Amino acid sequence: MKNSERSPETYLITRWQQFCAGDKSAFGELTELNYAALYHYGTRFTPDGDLIKDCLQDLFLEIWEKRETLSYIAAIKPYLFQSLRNNLIRRIRRQSVFSDIRDDDVQDDISPESDWIIQETDQLTSHRLKQAIDALPKRQKEALYLKYYENLSYEEIATVMGLQRQAVANYLQYGIQKLREYWQHATIFLALCSEIAWH
Amino acid sequence: MNNYSYFQVKDWLDDPAFQRWVYHGEQDAFWKEFIQDNPGQLSNIEQARELLLAVRGELDALPDSEVKARVSEILNAIPEEKLRALPWWRSNWLKIAAVLLLTLGIATALFREKENLQNLQSLVAGLGDGDQPGQLEIHNETNAIQLVTLPDGSSVILKKHARISYPAAFAADRREVRLRGEAFFEVVKNPEKPFLVYAGSMVTKVKGTSFSIKANDDEEDVQLVVKTGVVEVSALEEDGKSEVNAGKKLILKPNEQVTFNRKSLNMVTKTVQKPVLLNLPAESQNFEFKRTPLAEVFAELETTYGIRIQFDARAIAHCTLTARLGDEPVHEKLDLICTVVNARYQAQGNEVVVASEGCE
Repeated sequence: MKNSERSPETYLITRWQQFCAGDKSAFGELTELNYAALYHYGTRFTPDGDLIKDCLQDLFLEIWEKRETLSYIAAIKPYLFQSLRNNLIRRIRRQSVFSDIRDDDVQDDISPESDWIIQETDQLTSHRLKQAIDALPKRQKEALYLKYYENLSYEEIATVMGLQRQAVANYLQYGIQKLREYWQHATIFLALCSEIAWH
Repeated sequence: MNNYSYFQVKDWLDDPAFQRWVYHGEQDAFWKEFIQDNPGQLSNIEQARELLLAVRGELDALPDSEVKARVSEILNAIPEEKLRALPWWRSNWLKIAAVLLLTLGIATALFREKENLQNLQSLVAGLGDGDQPGQLEIHNETNAIQLVTLPDGSSVILKKHARISYPAAFAADRREVRLRGEAFFEVVKNPEKPFLVYAGSMVTKVKGTSFSIKANDDEEDVQLVVKTGVVEVSALEEDGKSEVNAGKKLILKPNEQVTFNRKSLNMVTKTVQKPVLLNLPAESQNFEFKRTPLAEVFAELETTYGIRIQFDARAIAHCTLTARLGDEPVHEKLDLICTVVNARYQAQGNEVVVASEGCE
């Protein structure tokens, strides 16, 4: 839509083409540009950071090996996300024979980018919201993450997660609706609390 | 008037500029002011913000240093391509001979026309200037100011006779440009990729700020004044390579000016009332608008950046802008304005075309 948003995109595509032609510096730059986002996406699946880093190393070495066959790819980010997802899930399945992978970080971490909006009582709402999001099915959570945090389109999310576009739309709609319900309950609950405290 | 005033929670969730603020703190000043001016939106914004943060979850961010280490691990793990070194007589001598013949042919052809020879010389000089191929140079030969948008989106306003050279694509770890003459810079913030300006043996290093540089070939002094942000100035090493002399380094803040002597490499700083060195409107403009008609905002951008903005005057007749735009490059400013007044823009060189659905 806007030019300044489009130009980094064309820049990445140019670098990708250079990488496919064997340019190692382009490859290094693309790896560096995507590494942190991929890692963070990986934390959706496992709390084991070393496992994610291992998978990322395999992933990038693998795409370097087959670079000559990758020049048709225009949507770079969804391609990388999808590859990491497949690798990770395969590895986790193999591992989970021995250990059970659980998501048990309970602490409430909403980073204070602009704490001036958050009033003290809101800590309770964000805590509840955290519980709400933890209560959502994994795939819904993942779709929401890709849509809002990674800004992928419905089609791109469908590619990454191996779903039909309609399924993505349903997940997103249902997920956001659930979260908003939780939010409303939480605020009503808070309003009641302060009402009671007041009288 | 602006459509943000009527946003519902769902609209906020889907707004890219809003997401960037929540997730990356972009345009913080703008959003804080917006919330202050629109208290009715506070609860919607709060809800949308919390939902977005909950969706992101914990930000277990990797430090840059770790990313860099991992990337070099990956690069090191790539097996080296085996190059077979053939003796020259067995490999390419036919090709070499062909190239030599061809070169000789071109040279002879060029000798016939001296003009052409000069062209060749300037082409070669141009290539030599920029260390590597793929280097672009823009020379402002007009009498007016000229806006240059760099590959990262940063804006440079060149004064008459100024010239800037830069690569078609910046390197992975730094953004390097060379300047001769006078120019004003608005650099896109990117702490991971420092922005370096080489101007007459002075090196200026920034992460995202605005400042002016005066580096005329016929003057012994190079001058710089900071409008916003922090700027680091040092002397280029004797051998003329991009090595930065670690011994002499100065950190400058807004309204601080440095005079750098090309010969002695001495630097003298002073504080100035206003960061004006080149008498450009961009140096003193603070881009604060309070219910300013959009046409006036555009006119101001046109004179500041020497660009042309085309718009349908009737469509935007009722649009006004209340915002504080800081030291962002011109494209970021246009992005913000367009989001606020529900418009789109297309830029081609220094011509900008704005399409708006109008404001009630």
